[in-house]
Amino acid sequence: MVSLDENMLVKKIQEGDQLAWSDLVLRYEGRLTNYAQGKIKDHASCQDIVQESFLGFLAKINNFDASRSVQSYLFGILSNKITDLLRRLGRSRAIETPVDSSGNHKVSPFIDPAMGASTWYRGDEKKKLENDALIKCLGLLINQFVQKKDYLKLKSIELIFVNGLSNLEAANILSIDNKTVASHRHYANNFIIDNLKKMNLSPSVFPHLSEQDQNS
Amino acid sequence: MTISNATLDAFIDDHLNEQETIKVEKAVRESPELQALLSSIIASRDMGDHSIGAIWRREHLSCPTREELSSYKEEALDPQRIDYIKFHLETVGCKACKANLSDLNCTKGSLKNADAHEKHRQFLENSKILLPKKQ
Repeated sequence: MVSLDENMLVKKIQEGDQLAWSDLVLRYEGRLTNYAQGKIKDHASCQDIVQESFLGFLAKINNFDASRSVQSYLFGILSNKITDLLRRLGRSRAIETPVDSSGNHKVSPFIDPAMGASTWYRGDEKKKLENDALIKCLGLLINQFVQKKDYLKLKSIELIFVNGLSNLEAANILSIDNKTVASHRHYANNFIIDNLKKMNLSPSVFPHLSEQDQNS
Repeated sequence: MTISNATLDAFIDDHLNEQETIKVEKAVRESPELQALLSSIIASRDMGDHSIGAIWRREHLSCPTREELSSYKEEALDPQRIDYIKFHLETVGCKACKANLSDLNCTKGSLKNADAHEKHRQFLENSKILLPKKQ
């Protein structure tokens, strides 16, 4: 949730207010540095990369989407910069495009038809609209669970969507049965589909939402 | 551990814990199918596609607010909410919230020494020239 205070701060920075800029840096510097230190042990490098992230934020301040949270935006910039740094240092993980025996990058010819919970959605010019709609749907879903104190459902779908676990793995962690997790997943999928329809977006944007229910 | 698209998606976002990350890395190195799947997911992302999990993680949709984390630290929240935040931090392993909580536990944030403090001051001073010009 974006606070009015945060939006005002960004607006003032967009107007060139130096105090607002200092306030923003002071407000977020500590948490960003702690996040960086979880991945880069050298404190000076952490401070550098956090400062680069702030500069990245400042460079695009006039295009900042006010519906987004400043914290999420800053963590996103920082996370990308950390990945770039680790790649430069040769510490990247096995996430580069695989290469063949000649050293050429292989391009995968397929997208797995058996999609998991983290469902891919398709679109071209409507991607931004769909992205925003999905953020709204998920926000409504999470808010509903929180308001009703239905934390078990929230935990189930967080493990499935965010951590990419199977129903069984989530059930084991939560010490509940597999069918209960499946029903939570079914509920979340239907909630998202219904809300996409209310927003006049076709659920076909997420064709696997209903399929995965049947397969889970 | 089952390695699905969603697992690889979380892996790309560096959201898995250390043990899970090691398992996925090992599996990817040993399996051409997983390598192909991983590269297709990365290619899809490069084209602008995102999964529900990626959007949830990127937007921090279930993260407690800074104020809530502060209250969590003081145990000044509803027990069910405390239990959920503990789950979010420890089981889901949200690194942004851990960083936030760690920052709340530090009295002076990241400015642990005089050098860091001076560097911070210089950064603020130098970066001000990049601010948009006042109308």
